[in-house]
Amino acid sequence: MTLQEQIRSNRLRSGIVVVGFVLLLLFVAALIGLALDLSLGVLALAFAGVYGIIALFQSRSMIAGMARAQAVDPGELKPLSRLVENVSIAAGLAVTPEVRIVEDDAPNAFAAGLRPEKSYVGVTTGLLAKMPKRELEAILAHEVSHIRNRDTYLMTMATVFAGVIALVADIGFRAIAYGGRSRRAGALVAVVAIVGFILAPYAALLLRMSLSRRREFLADAGAAEILNDPEAVALALRRLSLDETTITYADASTAHLWVESPTDRVESERRGVLALTSWFNTHPPLEVRIAALEEAGGFRLPDRLPADEPFGY
Amino acid sequence: MLWLWISIGGVALLGIVFVLGYNRLVRLRNEVDTGWANIDVQLQRRADLIPNLVETVRGYAAHERGVFEEVTRARTALQQAGTPGAAADANEGLTAALGRLFAVAEAYPDLKASENFLQLQDDLTDTEDKISAARRYYNATVMRLNTSVQSFPWLLFARALGFREREFFSAQGDTAVPQVTLSR
Repeated sequence: MTLQEQIRSNRLRSGIVVVGFVLLLLFVAALIGLALDLSLGVLALAFAGVYGIIALFQSRSMIAGMARAQAVDPGELKPLSRLVENVSIAAGLAVTPEVRIVEDDAPNAFAAGLRPEKSYVGVTTGLLAKMPKRELEAILAHEVSHIRNRDTYLMTMATVFAGVIALVADIGFRAIAYGGRSRRAGALVAVVAIVGFILAPYAALLLRMSLSRRREFLADAGAAEILNDPEAVALALRRLSLDETTITYADASTAHLWVESPTDRVESERRGVLALTSWFNTHPPLEVRIAALEEAGGFRLPDRLPADEPFGY
Repeated sequence: MLWLWISIGGVALLGIVFVLGYNRLVRLRNEVDTGWANIDVQLQRRADLIPNLVETVRGYAAHERGVFEEVTRARTALQQAGTPGAAADANEGLTAALGRLFAVAEAYPDLKASENFLQLQDDLTDTEDKISAARRYYNATVMRLNTSVQSFPWLLFARALGFREREFFSAQGDTAVPQVTLSR
């Protein structure tokens, strides 16, 4: 699959996500309309529409807020900004993405933004404190690949939409559970509606997850090509997989954005049920990704990671 | 009648294939041009840092004239280089000359401690990293263009349509051209 094909396929998927989102929204609104009041359903639909449009325009800051990523002055983190700049040049991006920092000890990184020119890369302080330069560069190249492949465009849209669905379903659920207006509806309808409201956010989640986990493999391959160094990418992934730090703010709504799924570990501990269904995994397992790189690059990772000096924060 | 339709369909299909292929070549050529512009910006930036560096070092080590001349000559050669290959050679030459300049600087502790000198050295390192990043992108785009131009059927009319193979940005005796190509 060439880059152009990948970009085209991402545009198509974006269209599918929009349609799926509209259908799901109609479903939730219909539930509200049936269980409570028809006018409430229409109101919820209008509210979701307006909220969705505003959220899309605000997505840059919204996602940064959800991931707790703070903008930094490029002068302050010069070595890191330079690394991002170099990687973007090697990737052929016209504009270097901004760098944002997430205060967290778990090593991880993400990219977001609707357009490549207005994208940014977020890295945790843990990533800077643990990764040597070569591997940090590999992670940054992975994120820049996402931007170049327009994965961020698709993911940003999906994030916003899933958030809207979750919000509207939540409002509907509360209205039924606490509002006491379900007198009008039969008990059966109320039960169906409640189940629907609980499931709707997960349906939105599924919709988002179904956006091909292959994009992670493609971003890994892209990073290997940008750096001409597949081993660095594999090493970085191995280091991520060996790290035991759990991200503190693990949040299902942004899980798919990160280089390593931040919720897999948390979910297996806190929400046993969810972890069982592999559909909900936002990322292919790291070991599978490492194996793919080893095969493509024709090398084997050493058993022990190089003890290079971390990049530092 | 049937044959007429079949031949019309065949011609139309050929036309579509041709248009798609042509557009692809145009895109690849534009990518190569962008890639070259990226390298050129960084080479220019590197060349722009040299006079300042030479002046700074001269302030501490005025009698090392030979090294200054060598660096200045290498800079001029870089600015005059006409083709990617020549530019890569000249860039290597500048690197070698700068290496000697920095070796000379080693002997002057005051110079090595100078804020200005450290800043210039840092900027130069950054520029070198950026040149090598830009070069990776450029060489990858050249590889894609050349592969297309050399493949059938474009092999037959790429030249007539104005698509030529491009030169890699690599110095003589440089073996860093082969690229890792993964699933793309």
